[in-house]
Amino acid sequence: MLHYLIKRILMMALTLFLIITLTFFLMHAIPGGPFTSEKMLAPEIEAALNAKYGLDKPIWQQYLSYLQGIITFDLGPSFKYPGVRVNDLIREGLPVTAQTGFLAMLCVVALGIPLGIVAALHQNKWQDTTIMAIATMGVAIPSYVLATIALYLFALQWQLVPTFGLDSWQGYILPVLALSGFWLSFIARLSRSSLLEVLGQDYMVTARAKGLHPQTILFKHGMRNALIPIVTVLGPVVANLLTGSFVIEQIFALPGIGRHFVLSISNRDYTTIMGITIFYAAFLMLMILIVDLLYMVLDPRIKLGEKAQ
Amino acid sequence: MSSAPLLKVDNLTTHFHTSRGDVQAVRGVSFDVRPGEILGIVGESGSGKSITCLSILGLLKANGEVVEGSADFEGKLLTGLSDKQLRTIRGDDIAMIFQDPMTSLNPTLTVGEQLIETILAHKPVSRSEARKRALELFDLVKIPSAASRLDNYPHQFSGGMRQRVMIAMALTCDPKLLIADEPTTALDVTIQRQILLLLKDLQEELGMAIILITHDLGVIAEVADRILVMYGGMVMETGDVYDVFESPQHPYTTGLLHSIPDVRSHTKQRLTPIPGSPPDMLRPPEGCPFAPRCPHAIQQCLEAMPPLFERPNAKPTVHEARCWLHHEEAPKALQSIFDAPEVSNG
Repeated sequence: MLHYLIKRILMMALTLFLIITLTFFLMHAIPGGPFTSEKMLAPEIEAALNAKYGLDKPIWQQYLSYLQGIITFDLGPSFKYPGVRVNDLIREGLPVTAQTGFLAMLCVVALGIPLGIVAALHQNKWQDTTIMAIATMGVAIPSYVLATIALYLFALQWQLVPTFGLDSWQGYILPVLALSGFWLSFIARLSRSSLLEVLGQDYMVTARAKGLHPQTILFKHGMRNALIPIVTVLGPVVANLLTGSFVIEQIFALPGIGRHFVLSISNRDYTTIMGITIFYAAFLMLMILIVDLLYMVLDPRIKLGEKAQ
Repeated sequence: MSSAPLLKVDNLTTHFHTSRGDVQAVRGVSFDVRPGEILGIVGESGSGKSITCLSILGLLKANGEVVEGSADFEGKLLTGLSDKQLRTIRGDDIAMIFQDPMTSLNPTLTVGEQLIETILAHKPVSRSEARKRALELFDLVKIPSAASRLDNYPHQFSGGMRQRVMIAMALTCDPKLLIADEPTTALDVTIQRQILLLLKDLQEELGMAIILITHDLGVIAEVADRILVMYGGMVMETGDVYDVFESPQHPYTTGLLHSIPDVRSHTKQRLTPIPGSPPDMLRPPEGCPFAPRCPHAIQQCLEAMPPLFERPNAKPTVHEARCWLHHEEAPKALQSIFDAPEVSNG
């Protein structure tokens, strides 16, 4: 087990190294640079800036010195925000993003799974049809459309919630709704189909034939098995939600890291692009590792790190 | 007719409501199970044998419904009970084991846990007492090194061992009736015999009654006391197992007996399959369901449902067959097919 964990972590480090290398060279392959803008800078100023940030050096030298920084967890200075380091950018933005992301995650799990269960238990009845109709819309409607409509109705027309910012708890409602809408619907649909499949299994009839309580049958025998495919999806979803969404943060004017993700690319803010990518990649890999470990708890047939017999 | 029946099924009729109409899976099945006897129910797939037993225990899928008839267990009307009331009987007085031990055990729980939860659902005992009982049961069904195997998961057992686990689980509360739904079908031939003998031994040791559902007449011959032949959701023939094998009174039973190979026969003998396929249970035929495939069918067979005719002087128990040829006005030439045992090899 420990052996397996060490192997996995080493593999993660290797993957991360490949991602860093690939992103670094791809990023530099995009024409333009951090200091190219419509207002042409005087050539000597641009040269001075390039020299200050080491952009005048050959690219392999830049790459090596960047790697050097990474090893000490230093993501370097932002090119766009003078005097701000990428570490600080993440440190400031992450709490905002993580808070809304965590609440969205909570909605996905605490609403999505139970809605799926209700739908599965009332297959083809009105409860099922209603939940699935809403969930299908939730999957189909893009989050920014949902966010804009919700903003217009709840914030502008009825003035129930603020239009932007997270100063009061009401401010969280719309961003969390917009953020969780897709995954909530997705998980509800997945939970339904997964549970329906399990309900049709022979061991569920056995459980009934043994005279067990319906709740024991549903949760101990049914959900435990139905959760396996749900957990598979939830890992990447956590990473996705906790690292934020550019569109949602832009619409609700939230100072999170999600917007840095996109803005840094158009700004050619090299260090920010790298920093956010590395952060997201590492987080995603960690979540996948957790999912794999959870499998073992849920399904005893899965033995990690052992060769199949 | 020595003692009062343990289970009395009367005119049981089960339908499945589907978008294409009602599937009439069981159409007026009646039979008794006496304490301590083994009743074999035989029939091909879709003949309604499994559905009959699932109906008795209220284990039908959501679209299934017992529309008529009753099942009476020791004076309690099972077909009228709520799910909550049935729960106290399932796994306690009446237990059930299933065809495929590979899929009938929950893969994510240890077999010990699956046994213990059954005991705890019916008996006011502590967990450790339940575990002790589970160990006894493992010994009873002859699972070697029981103590260590309780904490194993189903996938760590072979097919035969899993069926033993299923049997142990069914025996947790000393049931008076065990329903075994094709308990050997999914197993290797050598294992099939072991499991059958185990069931027979347990039946003698514990004195329970068994309903053994199968499509394998060999299984019935080996262990059953009485036999119930089902076709098209109805009872075609019923009687003492020797009686029915010696002189089958229904062409369908004869057909079934003809389609088993006889290893003792040295002559080159072709098996005689029954031509045709079972009836569509959405629109079952008005007459005898077997008539379209029956080599001896007469006009009457296609037009009206035959009643069960009792064979005179059958011993030791009633021998009945649902066939018009037993009617006194049926052509005598055709009636003679039942007289001499037609199973002549070669």
